[in-house]
Amino acid sequence: MHRAFIVILFAALGALATPAVAQDKVAIGIVTSLTGPMAPPGKFQMNGFNLAADEINAAGGVAVGAHRYRIELKVYDTRANPAEGASAMQRLATVDKVPVVLGELHSGVAAAEAPVAQDYGVPLILTVPTGPNLTEQGNPFLFRVNASNDQLNLALAEFIKQRGWFPLSFIAWNNDAGRGGVNGMKKLLGEDKTGYVGYFNVGDVDFSSHIANIRAAGARAVMLFMDEEPGSLAIKQIRDAGLKTQLIGTLAMGSDRFLKRLDAGRLEGMVQYNAFPPNANTPRIRSFSERYRKKFGEEAHGFAAQSYDGLMMVAAAMQKSGTVTDGKALRDALAGMEHDGVIGRIRFDAKGQAHPPVYVTQWCANGTRRILYPDNLKADCGAG
Amino acid sequence: MTAALLEQVVNGLMTGSVYVLVALGMVLIYGVMQVLNFAHGVLFMLGGYLCHFFFTRLTGSYSLALLLTMALLAAIGVALERGVFRPLQGNLRNQVIASLGLILVVENLVIALWGPNALQLRVPATERLVALGELRFPLQHLMIIAVTALVVAALFAFLKYSKLGTALRATSQDRHAAMVVGIPVERLDMASFALGTALAALGGALVGPLFLVFPQMGDAPLVKGLAGILLGGMGSVMGAVLGGLIIGVAESVSTLYLPTDYRDSVAFAIMVLILLARPRGLFGVRVRGEG
Repeated sequence: MHRAFIVILFAALGALATPAVAQDKVAIGIVTSLTGPMAPPGKFQMNGFNLAADEINAAGGVAVGAHRYRIELKVYDTRANPAEGASAMQRLATVDKVPVVLGELHSGVAAAEAPVAQDYGVPLILTVPTGPNLTEQGNPFLFRVNASNDQLNLALAEFIKQRGWFPLSFIAWNNDAGRGGVNGMKKLLGEDKTGYVGYFNVGDVDFSSHIANIRAAGARAVMLFMDEEPGSLAIKQIRDAGLKTQLIGTLAMGSDRFLKRLDAGRLEGMVQYNAFPPNANTPRIRSFSERYRKKFGEEAHGFAAQSYDGLMMVAAAMQKSGTVTDGKALRDALAGMEHDGVIGRIRFDAKGQAHPPVYVTQWCANGTRRILYPDNLKADCGAG
Repeated sequence: MTAALLEQVVNGLMTGSVYVLVALGMVLIYGVMQVLNFAHGVLFMLGGYLCHFFFTRLTGSYSLALLLTMALLAAIGVALERGVFRPLQGNLRNQVIASLGLILVVENLVIALWGPNALQLRVPATERLVALGELRFPLQHLMIIAVTALVVAALFAFLKYSKLGTALRATSQDRHAAMVVGIPVERLDMASFALGTALAALGGALVGPLFLVFPQMGDAPLVKGLAGILLGGMGSVMGAVLGGLIIGVAESVSTLYLPTDYRDSVAFAIMVLILLARPRGLFGVRVRGEG
């Protein structure tokens, strides 16, 4: 009796002590932009990682074998600079000795980080860069949670074909992303369906010459291959010039943040492809958006959802492979994994590319958005 | 087609006006001090930021913000002349290097104060659209052209009829002769800097509401303004005005016939062609003692 009491007492003490004493930590590498031109999207990415880490830790950490590990993020600022990215990746692999790295925003920087990941056998999971070539390098340690430009364009091209918005004109960055995007769309839609194509340099703010050309070309629709800042300027200038053509935008143009830069009047009717409609009436998206708003006080963002899913997958891969140190084993676990994420079902193909759903949303007159594509997920104003 | 041409001419006059404001300031300073101030682009940018500050934080009146910006930048111009360019007087190479260094100082100062991201400068009064036939332009767009025209007219009157203007012209024609007849050339150095930076500031403050205010906003106007000066003839005020306008209109109109990414090449090709035909530019003057 006495003996049994002592055993129970010790067991109880042990149970109490476990979370405090026996809980180890596992550091996970993050590469992102905290400063520089990509700092604003970098914030969304970090919000996603922080939310995932907090939720995992609040639930007691990652259970691997008999241990529970608290997740600790080791964050490096790569500032949209390939050299910084490569050196951060190297440091994470050799000095910090993390088993896996997530993040990055910039395709050029990701391209510099990927070979380093392969050299050291540390899986690199991209959650934002969209450059299609990244997953075409035969690098077994590279994974991408988000859709690539090719996947986004494919969905958009199908939608544009459905609507018959031809001829389609373009205003695009004069760089890899812009030119690659235009060429990809031309290939998908057919050369004869394109109208005027104009490129602008990073830092250009005056789109008037493109507008005159689009007006002269009589375009039915204009696709804007650019991000938030030039996008808001181009739309403002197009609408101010009285051009009533259909506008088609990118990921960056379907958020409340973008609305704040312009106004509902100028945006009404514009469509854009979107990886994540934060107000969609899907339980997983609604719950994520609520948790996100509670923590950060703003509308959830696709970059955050993708990054959240990436870190959740890492936790699952650690559980599945039974290791928090072996990059090779984690790679194998990730490669064969199927994960029900916020953005949808995530499964990496042989090239490490996931195939999440791609949406097309449209701005309504009251500044909300509706989902127009895919057909099975259509939803009215307020759900996009 | 004619509508597109008209649209591009109006667009070109606007960008050209911006180049003119930058070019005029550089030409005034060059005329008096024989130094090309490469920091003029960042002073233009600083004008945009200060106007943003005065308009959104202090006054709420755009015209008042414009005047305050010009006044403050004129003072900064004087400080730069006294603090940076005067101590290096007589050493052209060091003055040019100092002006390049100033670019880094000003740009990073602005980034430290306002951050690296673009700011919106929304002036509701000038966002109104004005119809010209079937074309529509924001009021701000046309205002840039009108204000520049006024400023150019005022500057010509000032240089021709005022005592200070005459002294400026005399000094830029021959500094030593000007000193001999009792013109206080060092005070004129300060005056030219004050006037030059105020004009650049006006440019930045005018462009801000139409586009955005961001750390690199002065880069293109600096390079194109410089091209305008070379095209018009080094040291000629009339040349700076015409050169800036020619470059602005030519690059805008060219986009109707050539891919838009050639627009910068067009500006410089025209500059090269004119310099081939007239090596001193349109209004370049032969300086005594020079080739």
